Amino acid sequence: MSSDPQTTLRRTDLFDLPGIGRFLRWRHARTVLQIPLLAGAALMVFDGLAGPQLAPKNLATVLTWVHYRGLVVLALVVAGNLFCMACPFMLVRNVMRRFRTPARIWPRRLRSKWLAAGLLGLMLFAYELFDLWAQPAWTAWLILLYFSGALLVDASFRGASFCKYLCPLGQFNFVASLNSPLQVTIRSPQTCSECQTKDCIKGRPGQRGCELWLFQPGKVGNMDCTFCLDCTHACPYENVGISGRLPASELWADPVRSGIGRFSRRPDLAALVAVFTFGALLNAFAMVSPVYVLEEWLARQLNTESEILVLALLFLVGLGVIPLGLLGLTGWLSRRWARAGSRSSLVAWITQHAYALVPLGFGIWLAHYAFHFLTGFWTFVPVLQSFVSDMAGVPLLGAPRWELGPLVPPGWLNPLELGLLGLGWFGSLLVAYRLSSRDGEEATKDGPPVWGAFLPWAVLLSLLLAAAIWLMGQPMEMRGTLFAG
Amino acid sequence: MRRWAWFGLLLLLLAGCGRGPQDLPDVAVQVGIDPDPPRLGLATVTISLRNAEQEPISGAAVEIEGNMSHAGMVPVFATASEVAPGRYQAGLDFTMGGDWFLLVRADLPDGRSLEHKIDVPGVDAVCGDTPTP
Repeated sequence: MSSDPQTTLRRTDLFDLPGIGRFLRWRHARTVLQIPLLAGAALMVFDGLAGPQLAPKNLATVLTWVHYRGLVVLALVVAGNLFCMACPFMLVRNVMRRFRTPARIWPRRLRSKWLAAGLLGLMLFAYELFDLWAQPAWTAWLILLYFSGALLVDASFRGASFCKYLCPLGQFNFVASLNSPLQVTIRSPQTCSECQTKDCIKGRPGQRGCELWLFQPGKVGNMDCTFCLDCTHACPYENVGISGRLPASELWADPVRSGIGRFSRRPDLAALVAVFTFGALLNAFAMVSPVYVLEEWLARQLNTESEILVLALLFLVGLGVIPLGLLGLTGWLSRRWARAGSRSSLVAWITQHAYALVPLGFGIWLAHYAFHFLTGFWTFVPVLQSFVSDMAGVPLLGAPRWELGPLVPPGWLNPLELGLLGLGWFGSLLVAYRLSSRDGEEATKDGPPVWGAFLPWAVLLSLLLAAAIWLMGQPMEMRGTLFAG
Repeated sequence: MRRWAWFGLLLLLLAGCGRGPQDLPDVAVQVGIDPDPPRLGLATVTISLRNAEQEPISGAAVEIEGNMSHAGMVPVFATASEVAPGRYQAGLDFTMGGDWFLLVRADLPDGRSLEHKIDVPGVDAVCGDTPTP
């Protein structure tokens, strides 16, 4: 068995594949992918603002909350961060950069994931507060907000500061892509060792280098990688490709990663992972019947009719109190049983092991988004038919087929969800065990018991799995009007 | 800066140009749902159509579309039958708990058509078809 945690399959490089390789080497490949997404975004904004304000009949809500979310997670599980690769926000931003070159560098104090973790949590909160799943116009404004944010930030600061430090979609994709089977990586370390120009990060005339400050010879894994391929196109030796790897294997390795440092010394990254994972549970919880019982109870206890207050409390508990409590207790027990008190502070210990949450968190998101994607897959057809009919005045694409919906029989959904959850759980257990084993290797001669370090994390992961399974079994009850009036 | 102001104005104009259900100003549409409050399962929807003189409108072709307030679910359809002058009834299956809306489409005897929307929030996820012990 290989001891290399990355287990890169050196010969499985997309750039070696006929057709695909040639396309990816083309410096305009990303632009070609971005254009249809930009067109789609424009369509969604238009229909979101001007179309029927009925979510199932509007392209903004159908394409965003059913298809975009489903396709993003499917792409992440079978390939990698393909949405960031085709990001339409960056296309508009690149056009802007032709006319304005920012001079400032992103402030050092903000070069962490704390702000990003907060924004991801805020995004999930806003989704519930404004019932975005049911609001075409708000969805359109959200899309515009993303474009505006990218333009504003990247007009002011050099590099891809919006992507690296702010974009909630990007942060979600970065964490999820830690599970992906593909990564952008060098093909020959020797070639890089002989390189004097470092074009992959510095760029060269007519081609920028990596704007997320990931120096390819030192780059490890997918964190902060948008698959933009700037490094690929800048490298004069064609020494950067997209290679296959063992999914999630980068989670139990702790090298110094270019542009990131060590995962074990990044509590902000661990916080982002916690928001990602517990956010998955909270987002699913907010769609099932028990949450409305809880919200009503909270409203009575607080003697309030304010939705924002009740939701804020739910999120404070769901993304704050519960994760801190569970991770704190788990970390304390794990560190105690591993007899690691002298080697590591509690915060450092939790930071080191928190990355075990990633596969399960991704499994929960995958199960949830796949449910909506598969049950509502064909709903874009009648919405598009209706849109064209309204615009053209005649049903050019035929009368809307409103009866179209699921891609798979309903009986497939529950086993599929359970399977995805199970895979995520198993992946997390594996990562947790490998992380605990790594601690054993670094220990003193007596060494801490690996199982002592591992067991609390295994219990936590199993509890989270049980919570996810319970959630997926609850009757769905999408509401937005509990506090109507 | 001026260019951005025009762009913003265009967006606001777009926001005001919504396509959607089209009521007729001289036709009153009343909708009743039994059971009330509605819950998962079959419900009877009764639609009353009256003209400006409060007279019932008979002979309309009335169809009901039930849909959830969020995207991704398949709507349910029912054709209503006239059970009394100006009163039309149909059975509609609420397939999931949550917020719904109904679109009532009526082709009137005078050749005009209307589409009326009503919100049906909070359909209970507890099925009403199975009797409690």
